[in-house]
Amino acid sequence: MSTPKNDPLIQVETTCGTLLYELQIIWDEVGETDADRDEMLLELERECLEVYRRKVDQANHCRAQLRRTIADSEAELAAICSAMGERPVHIRQSDQNAGSLKEELSKILPQLEEMKKRKIERRNQFVEVLEQIQKITNEIYGSSVSISSKTVVDETDLSLRKLEELHRQLHELEKEKSDRLKQVQDYLNTLNSLCSVLGMDFMLTVDEIHPSLGDPKGFTSISDDTIEQLATLIKKLLEVKIQRMERLQDLATTMLELWNLMDTPIGEQQMFQNVTRNVAASEHEIIEPNTLSVDFINYVEAEVSRLEQLKSSKMKELVLKKRLELEEICRKTHLLPDSDCAIEDAIEAIESGFADAATILEQIELQIAKVKEEALSRKEILEKVEKWLTACDEECWLEEYNRDENRYNAGKGAHLTLKRAEKARALVNKLPGMVEALASKTMAWEKEREIEFLYDGIRLLSMLEEYTILRKEKEQERRRLRDQKKLQGQLIAEQEALYGSKPSPSKPQSVKKGPRYSTGGASNRRVSLGGAMMTTHKPDSLHPAKATPKTRPSKKNERMQNDHLNHRHDDATVFSAIRRGLDIVDTPVRKHSSTPRASNAIEPESPLLARKPFSPITSAVSAKSNTTNMLEVEDNGEKSHKMHHQNNDLPYATPLKTIPFVDEENRTPKVMPFPCTPSTVSVPMQTAMTPAATPAPIPFAITKPVEEIEQSFEERRLASLLSKTQITTSYALVRVCAS
Amino acid sequence: MTPVHPPPAPGRELSNPPTEGISNLRFSNHSDHLLVSSWDKTVRLYDASADSLRGEFMHGGPVLDCCFHDDSSGFSASADNTVRRIVFSHGKEDILGRHDAPVRCIEYSYAAGQVITGSWDKTLKCWDPRGASGQEKTLVGTYPQPERVYSLSLVGNRLVVATAGRHVNVYDLRNMSQPEQRRESSLKYQTRCVICYPNGTGYALSSVEGRVAMEFFDLSEASQAKKYAFKCHRKSEAGRDIVYPVNAIAFHPVYGTFATGGCDGFVNVWDGNNKKRLYQYSKYPTSIAALSFSRDGRLLAVASSYTFEEGDKPHEPDAIFVRSVNEIEVKPKPKVYPNPPA
Repeated sequence: MSTPKNDPLIQVETTCGTLLYELQIIWDEVGETDADRDEMLLELERECLEVYRRKVDQANHCRAQLRRTIADSEAELAAICSAMGERPVHIRQSDQNAGSLKEELSKILPQLEEMKKRKIERRNQFVEVLEQIQKITNEIYGSSVSISSKTVVDETDLSLRKLEELHRQLHELEKEKSDRLKQVQDYLNTLNSLCSVLGMDFMLTVDEIHPSLGDPKGFTSISDDTIEQLATLIKKLLEVKIQRMERLQDLATTMLELWNLMDTPIGEQQMFQNVTRNVAASEHEIIEPNTLSVDFINYVEAEVSRLEQLKSSKMKELVLKKRLELEEICRKTHLLPDSDCAIEDAIEAIESGFADAATILEQIELQIAKVKEEALSRKEILEKVEKWLTACDEECWLEEYNRDENRYNAGKGAHLTLKRAEKARALVNKLPGMVEALASKTMAWEKEREIEFLYDGIRLLSMLEEYTILRKEKEQERRRLRDQKKLQGQLIAEQEALYGSKPSPSKPQSVKKGPRYSTGGASNRRVSLGGAMMTTHKPDSLHPAKATPKTRPSKKNERMQNDHLNHRHDDATVFSAIRRGLDIVDTPVRKHSSTPRASNAIEPESPLLARKPFSPITSAVSAKSNTTNMLEVEDNGEKSHKMHHQNNDLPYATPLKTIPFVDEENRTPKVMPFPCTPSTVSVPMQTAMTPAATPAPIPFAITKPVEEIEQSFEERRLASLLSKTQITTSYALVRVCAS
Repeated sequence: MTPVHPPPAPGRELSNPPTEGISNLRFSNHSDHLLVSSWDKTVRLYDASADSLRGEFMHGGPVLDCCFHDDSSGFSASADNTVRRIVFSHGKEDILGRHDAPVRCIEYSYAAGQVITGSWDKTLKCWDPRGASGQEKTLVGTYPQPERVYSLSLVGNRLVVATAGRHVNVYDLRNMSQPEQRRESSLKYQTRCVICYPNGTGYALSSVEGRVAMEFFDLSEASQAKKYAFKCHRKSEAGRDIVYPVNAIAFHPVYGTFATGGCDGFVNVWDGNNKKRLYQYSKYPTSIAALSFSRDGRLLAVASSYTFEEGDKPHEPDAIFVRSVNEIEVKPKPKVYPNPPA
């Protein structure tokens, strides 16, 4: 037991030897047989062997395990290397076995670790790249094709080459992305300019395609879909733009034309300078914002329509002017214009759009040319007619003058009158020749042209004829007068013989009151037809209007007997009343008041005038001298009333025609003419101090010759309404019957 | 010296005007309501200050005249010979009675509580609107006239009737058995309109020949000396004088001046006492068919509507203008002496 135990084996051996020795001792003591002893020892030996064998097996097993681990590691290493496309760093070479297995293993393991780490890194790189690719692809192809965000990496191929390939792919994708971005941006810019030109909201437009596009910073959609939509939108807007541009240019052209036509002031034009500037511009040149917006086009359109309206109104004006010119020419040349209402028709036609103002204008121009031409051919005859008419006037004057008993009384200007009379006599002597020459000339003209020569719508020849007849009649009358005078002279002489005194020659009332002769009927008719043209030309020719020859003889005797009354009857026509109006105002009215009987005497002779007994006016006239204006008015009115009725007998009294109004009022400047513009200055009323019913024309048929019963407008309106409905109902009836 | 006023606008045009000739229009005595009768067979009630159509009442024929009873009802005279009472709030109308011919004009007398109608059947009829519906109950009396009645006007108990043939009869409503006065129009032509002075001393009468006569009831010489006639609504063009009918006269309720409207489309305002024209409004599109001042005289309703003076022909559309009246336009001006008193 004291032996040192430095070596276990030795110790084991010692222990074994000791134990054996101990066993021998025991055996010796026990006295075991040698056989038993041998058997015991054999058994011991066998057990020991068994233990050894087990241990060796165990070791063997362990070694195999180790070997397999090494192989596995190597295989893994190789796999990794191959996946990464690298040559394995360590391939076991059997020949240069470097020691024990454990050594080998310890050598391989760090390598494996290293490789594993590298593999993970590589894998991460792959994942990263793939993710990027995925992302871009998604962006480009749209989320519809999106694959699950988890990228799957092919573990078997993690080589650099593959990585590079992926990188290349990524790069390509990135390039495409940037291209697309650029394209989208381009589109957006184009769109922006289009929108601004068309006056649309860019953000709104773009939002419709993709909400991201409106956001200037940050993500922008670049998918195929977006690009395609952008492209179509741009195409569409471009079409709209071109369309609008054409519209605007049309408008601008119209506008320029209208400006040109109407000499629109520059100031007005400047407002639309930006429109007209673009007349010839091509599509890409129009970039100014809002130039093609709907509002702006509407604005321009409104201006153009305004101008057009202006133009049409100007055209109308022009038509009117031309028409007036035509009428003026017609008036001057005593031609009758085509029809009185032509101008209204024309205006109506223009307004209703049936006719173009320009064509009407052209027509009128044509007419003017025609009339001018005709006027030229008529000129010579017209001049002669004028001469003749002046001569007629002189003749009339002369006759009146001749009747004036006091004509030789020396007075102011008497010598001038004498001179005029002398001249007039010479002229009158020439008259028959003049008429004849005129007639022959007219006949020649008519023969040449095969149309009648009309003077204010009346055949000149008939006028001449009438004149000659009148002249003859006048001649007869004069002769008769002379005879009568002679007779009277005899009578006076007889009376003288009887009573020894000679009555003073009867004084005529006034120069103007005698019977008048003139171109007669012709001038009458002209008055009724022509209206103002006569008065402006030669107002004198109007006055000597006289009754139609038929009425004359019956009244003549009366005149002879009652000189005082005669002037009431002889000038029976309305037109002579023009002059009469003047006459009456200054003389006979006063006469009435002084000789009331005379005025009473008239009354029964105008049966048309029915006065009521209560009428305060009539009684006033006869009762007291008329001093108030009103009465004077009424008095005159009465006469005019009579005249008015006589007017009814004239078949050609066209009520709508205005009749020349030769009155004191028109001769002398009116005290207070009617202002056309409203004014606050009070104006004296035209209380009727002048003859109440100067033949002022009433534009409405108050007493149409045809109508026997007086009717108010309302009655006529109702009648017209009823007749209309009757017509329609009867028409309906007919239709019912027909069916 | 005199301030220059810009030409005033024609006034506010009422929307929804009648579609055919306006025969008459009248302001209410209590509000700015306007009653309008028309040839389109309707009577319309407008609120002139609010420009709103308050009611429309169809008739069997063209309506030739209308008048207010109070603010809730009115009367109308129709060409289908009927006289109707219209209750605005119910939108209902009943026939008060009939004439034998179209009824031309209608007036309501507050003094007598009667409706007076004039017709082309040459009669005047008085009606009691309070009576039950039915001719025998409502008719008070029938008074023959010498001719077809063309115009009526009332002041106090006086009634002036103008007929065809230029007759003018003046009645006292208290004794309708016969006219108080029988007159003849002092104008030579057909009477268009007759209207009594607000002060009850006489009447103005207009004719188709651009003339208005100012007459007085009092037959004394002094009064009759005051009467006169004047020309208006004429146009002088190149020596031609065109004369237009004077369709309407309306007296200003405050100042007693009056407006006339003619077929020339002008409305003139006159001062009858001073024989001056005070104002001329700018021309309206077509003939002036009727005029009415509101109760305070601040508004003037003008019916611009063709009155058939030239027969059936195309014409401007009918319109009602309501213009506010400036005092300067209607207030009589003191007489101007040509020489200042030394």
